[in-house]
Amino acid sequence: MSVTTEKMSSIVDRSQWIRLLSKLDAEQVVAEVNTLSSGWQITPKSLPQSGLAMLKLEDSAYNEPFYLGEIPLATAWVDIVTPEGSNADGAAQVMVDNLEFVQALAVCDGILANRLPGYERIDELLRQGLEQCNREEQRRKNMLAATRVDFSLLDAVEDDDEN
Amino acid sequence: MSYVAIKGGGLAIQGAESLLEYLRTEQGEGGLPLDLATIQSQLRFLHGKVMSEGGLYHPELAALAIKQFMGDSLEASFALRAYRSTKPRLCETPILDSSKMRLVRRISSAFKDIPGGQMLGASTDFSLRLLRMDLLDESKETFQKTTAQWMKHTKTDAIPDTFPKVLDYLREEGLLPASNPKLNMDAFDITREPLIFPVPRSAALATMSRAETGSLLGIAYSNMRGYGDVHPTVAEMRVGYLPVMLPHPVTGELTEAGEVMITECEVVAMYEDDDEGGKPVFTLGYGACFGHNEVKALSMAILDRSLQKGMKDGPSNPSEDPEFVLLHVDGIDSMGFCTHYKMPHYVTFQSDMDRLRTTQEKQRNKQKKEAQG
Repeated sequence: MSVTTEKMSSIVDRSQWIRLLSKLDAEQVVAEVNTLSSGWQITPKSLPQSGLAMLKLEDSAYNEPFYLGEIPLATAWVDIVTPEGSNADGAAQVMVDNLEFVQALAVCDGILANRLPGYERIDELLRQGLEQCNREEQRRKNMLAATRVDFSLLDAVEDDDEN
Repeated sequence: MSYVAIKGGGLAIQGAESLLEYLRTEQGEGGLPLDLATIQSQLRFLHGKVMSEGGLYHPELAALAIKQFMGDSLEASFALRAYRSTKPRLCETPILDSSKMRLVRRISSAFKDIPGGQMLGASTDFSLRLLRMDLLDESKETFQKTTAQWMKHTKTDAIPDTFPKVLDYLREEGLLPASNPKLNMDAFDITREPLIFPVPRSAALATMSRAETGSLLGIAYSNMRGYGDVHPTVAEMRVGYLPVMLPHPVTGELTEAGEVMITECEVVAMYEDDDEGGKPVFTLGYGACFGHNEVKALSMAILDRSLQKGMKDGPSNPSEDPEFVLLHVDGIDSMGFCTHYKMPHYVTFQSDMDRLRTTQEKQRNKQKKEAQG
């Protein structure tokens, strides 16, 4: 994914918003959301929860599902009403224990999806999350690129040791 | 008489616990407490092992467990698994597809030219097992410089986000059983149901994925050395990050909730005839676990194959016996049984001594009678 001057929430699919925002410092996101949503009415549509989820994986030999293990999971689904009367709902499910963080992410999801007042500030967070994700992706690709095996015959290329 | 009352045991136990804490901090002013990020980064293989054997992918708490138990991987895994039992289960993921992994390593011992190429990633496979004495007095500056230098000068344009699987290539060649997704098949939940044999393959895979590495290796090694005939070829070993997808509560669309680092291994084993008259194809074994742990994933893949054979034809050696393998590979179960022998057995041992003395007395009487003629 590339970073441009367009609105991030227009470029990045909603299915990736929470992934990108969760790369950021939880306190930063919570503080931004608290500031932005001051005076808004935010009520849970379902009880915010922190617990575990079973990770089900398909074995790629015989295509049978099995449980690889468990992961932490926090979930939130909120209804948002702004002082101007705009109404939206947003939700988040993240592999963390932090309920305050997941509720803030759910509010971000609602703000971005419905372009609520001040959504540009959350869009900026999305941009920061994307930059962080890109750095991580780059780091991983570096690992692969630097260790790619060249199976060319030895007499067809210069010996690695001589470089 | 079942119990022996003793005085002062509580104080001794408290003393033992506080002594453990003293040892953890005995460096005093000359030391610093281990920080969790350092454990996650510099003890990454131990850290992955604890998450895998604890059955919970929680990087922060796994690091805490390692710190608390001073590197004892069994105790740390035990604490992680105990923690998970205190938390509610909210849901399970849809069936995740490991071909979506964001790789940091992929190799094959079956072909050199695998589609997408081989990337060694971080590996000790080619390291000389010689101690690096320069690390004895490694400076902070040297430590930090290594990272900075490594990240420079690498072209990554040709690296895709995901890679095709070697098994898919072999399937296209007609050398493997056809792909047959079983989306409606139930998976056995070993955290809620006891293993009552025979168990489905999903129970075996789940048990082995959180098994103790050394236990899996030991039984797999027995197969490799001759108590079995899997003769595996590693079609693909991959290490990377698997995106965890969950349906979004509002849109229903699959949304990424995070990612887990896993190691996955697929082995190709001896071919066999099709029972229903189809063409012979290679058999397969599969292994996967949390963290970067190739020995575990490969051992699991070998045992998956040997257990399939045992389930089909009946076991002809220990590694083909599901009951033998699956009931003896869990580190926490086996550690618990082992360490319980340290608990007081005063009454049972008193009984053993009484019986031995009685038997000795009987023997003496018998010998006396025989001597008297």
